[in-house]
Amino acid sequence: MRDARIEKLAELITGYSLDLREGQVYRIDGEEVSIPLAVALYAAAIRRGANPYTRIVPSGLDELELEHASDEQLAYISELEEIATERLDAWSTLWGAVNTRALTRADPERRRLQLSTQFRMVNRRWERISAGDLAWCGTFYPSQGHAQDAEMSLPEYEDFVHGACHTRDGDDPIAHWKGMSETMTARALELDGVRELRIVGPDTDLCVVVEGRQWVPSDGKHNMPDGEIFTSPVETGTSGEIFFAFPSIFQGQEVENVRLRFEDGSVVHAEATSGENYLRSLIETDAGAKVLGEVAFGLNYEIDRFTRDILFDEKIGGTMHVALGCGFDEAGAENKSDLHWDLICDLRQEGEVYADGELVWKAGSFVAELAVARA
Amino acid sequence: MLDPRHRKLAEVIVGYSTEVGPGDKVLIESTGSASPLVRELYGASLRAGGHPETSLGLDEAEEALLGEGSDAQLEWIAPDLEWKVDRGDVWMVIDAPVNTKRLTGVDPSKMGTRLKARAPIQSRYLERSAAGDFRWVICGYPTEASAQDAGMSLRQYEDVLYRAAFLDKDDPVAAWASFGDRLEGVGSILDNVRELRIVGEETDLKLGVEDRTWIRSKGLRNFPDGEVFTGPIETSVEGTIRFTFPAMMRGRQADGVRLRFEAGEVVEATATRGQDFLREMIALDEGAKRVGEFAFGMNDAIGEYTGNLLLDEKIGGTVHLALGRSVPGTGGENRSGLHWDIVCDLRDGGEVYADGELVYRDGAFLSGTS
Repeated sequence: MRDARIEKLAELITGYSLDLREGQVYRIDGEEVSIPLAVALYAAAIRRGANPYTRIVPSGLDELELEHASDEQLAYISELEEIATERLDAWSTLWGAVNTRALTRADPERRRLQLSTQFRMVNRRWERISAGDLAWCGTFYPSQGHAQDAEMSLPEYEDFVHGACHTRDGDDPIAHWKGMSETMTARALELDGVRELRIVGPDTDLCVVVEGRQWVPSDGKHNMPDGEIFTSPVETGTSGEIFFAFPSIFQGQEVENVRLRFEDGSVVHAEATSGENYLRSLIETDAGAKVLGEVAFGLNYEIDRFTRDILFDEKIGGTMHVALGCGFDEAGAENKSDLHWDLICDLRQEGEVYADGELVWKAGSFVAELAVARA
Repeated sequence: MLDPRHRKLAEVIVGYSTEVGPGDKVLIESTGSASPLVRELYGASLRAGGHPETSLGLDEAEEALLGEGSDAQLEWIAPDLEWKVDRGDVWMVIDAPVNTKRLTGVDPSKMGTRLKARAPIQSRYLERSAAGDFRWVICGYPTEASAQDAGMSLRQYEDVLYRAAFLDKDDPVAAWASFGDRLEGVGSILDNVRELRIVGEETDLKLGVEDRTWIRSKGLRNFPDGEVFTGPIETSVEGTIRFTFPAMMRGRQADGVRLRFEAGEVVEATATRGQDFLREMIALDEGAKRVGEFAFGMNDAIGEYTGNLLLDEKIGGTVHLALGRSVPGTGGENRSGLHWDIVCDLRDGGEVYADGELVYRDGAFLSGTS
C-alpha cells in the first residue's frame, strides 16, 4: 500500500534538499528494502523534468565481498562510480538496512580495507559537493533493522522518522525546513562571534575554544532528517571534563557511560563502565583521535529519544555532541584523523552553556539572542 | 528459502556462459525478486576474480517514466547504460518478472520513442559482442508471474525452467558441452544451404540464407538456451507463415498471427486478436517489416509452451522468426528498433526443405541428412 508520507518525503528531498531541475542527471542509491522511497523519488524527479536513474542493490553484498574478494578486489573502485562522480548533478543515498549488525563479526582488517575504498570513493564526490557542483542528500528509509535498534515497532518507527522529517499527514515540510534554515543560519552567524563555549551539565564542565571557526547550519540539504549547528573547535583549546549519558556507538559496538578529561585540547583520561578497552583503542587510532573535530548543538525537537543511530541521535533537540577525530574543512578545522566518532551529551534536564561567560543555553534550548550579536 | 539450484545456476552462468575472469568488469542486473540469485552471481563473479556490480531494476520507476515522461526523458540514456555497452566486459540480465502484463496499458508511441532511442545502444553492444569484446547473458528466473503465464504452480515452473537449463544433471556444464556438439551437427548441415522452405498448416515460406552464418546458441547469450539461428537475406522472404504461439511484446500480445511476405517485406498481417497492435509494431520503422532472424528451436528438455519467449523459442521442434533488427555475426543487415521473435510449432506435420531436399519433419532433423 502506498504511504502518502513517503511521497511527501520524496517531494521534500527533490524539491527542497536537492532543488532538482529540468534536465539534471540524478542517481538514487539504496538497498532493496528502500525501494518504495526510491520509486517515489524517481517519480518526483520525472515530474520535475530531471533524468533520474537508480542503483538499488540486494542486501548482503558487503558481506559477500568480504568473504570472497581478494585484497586487490576489495581496493577496487568501480569505473561506474567514477563516471557518476563526474557526471551527476544530484545524488540521493537511502539508508535503510534489514540488519544493522550484519558485519559486526567481520574480519576487522578486511572491513577496514573495504571501508577505506568506500571512503576514497566518497572523498572525490565530496569535492564536487563542497564546490557546489553536485547536490547530495542522504536520507533514512524506515526499516525493521533500524526500528529494532530504536526499540520500536515498524509503524512506531515510521511515525518517528516522518516526525523528524516533518513529513507527517498535514505537515508542510518545505515550509518547515525553510523556516529552520533561516533560524539556524541566523544562530550560526551569532555563534561565529563567540570565542569560547563552556558546557556545564551532569558530571560535565568543559571549555571549548571556537574563535575564528565557522558555524555551519545543517538545514536539511545534505541530510534528511536534519537539525544541528556544528563547528570544529580550535585544536589546542579544549579543557575540562565531559560525561556522556547515552551509549556511544562506533561501527556497531557500544561503549557505556563514557567520561573524558581534556588538557590543552587532547584527551588525557578516558573511562567507561563497559567497553573501556574499545574506547581506549579508538582514542589511540592516531594523534588526531585524541582531539575534538566537532562540537555541535542538536536542534531537532521531534527527535526526542535515543535510537542507536547517529544520524538521528546527534540531532536530538536539547543535546550537544562532540566528535573525536577528523574535523570539517568548511568550519576551518585543522585536525586530521581516520576517526570521526560522535558522542552525545544530554543537556535537556540540567545543562547550561555559556558563550564567553554569558548563559546562552539552558535545559535544552537557546535562551535568547547571543550578546555578541547584540553588540 | 535458499534453493541449492541458485548456487549451481550461478556457477554455470559465471563459469560457462560468460567465463568471468580476473579483472573483468561485470554488471549483474535484475528485478528485486531475483535477489537470491543475484547474490550467488555476485559471489561467484568475485571468486572468479571479476569486479561485479549489481543493480535491481524498479518496475514502478519504469512505469512512471513510460507514464509521465517527456520525449526528452524517454530518449535519455543513463550513464550506467552507456558505460555498460562501451566499457563493460560482462553483462548478466536476470529475467524475473513480478507481473508480465504490467506494461499492457502503456501508450505504444511512448514505448516506440524509448525503443528507437535505444536502438543505437542495442547495436553497439551486439557489435562488441559479435567481435568477442563483450559477453552478455539473459538468464531466466522462476517467479509466480511466469508460473501463472505458464498455467502452473511456482514449484512446477521451477522444475520446467531448471530442467531446460540442465540443472537436473550432475554436471550441467558437461551437458551443455555435449548439447553444443549436437547443435554443431545441425549448424554444419545448414551452413551450405541456399534456400529454406518451411511447410506447415497454413504455412509455406521461403527464405534465402546463402552465405549467411548459422549461430549455434548453446547457453552463452541466453540461459536456458538451444537454438540455431541466422539472419536471412533481407529481400528473399516469400510466402505465408501462420504462427501457432501468441506473439508477445512487453506485456502485449497478438494471437493467431499470419504474415505474408513479398520480396522480403510483410505485405499482409492479420491476427485473430491484437491485430492493431501487430500492425503498430510492424509500422515502427522500415526494418520492422523485414525478417532479422530465422531459427530452429533445439532444446528437447522444453516440452510445452509457457508464454515465456526465452523458453518458448527454444522448444525442440519449433522454428521462430524475428521481425526487425538482425543479430550482428549472422551476416544479417537489417536495422530496426524492433526485434520481435514469433514462434511456430512444427512438431505436428511440419516440414522443412533445404534447397528442395526434405531435411526436417515433425519437429526433428532427419537422420542421414547431409
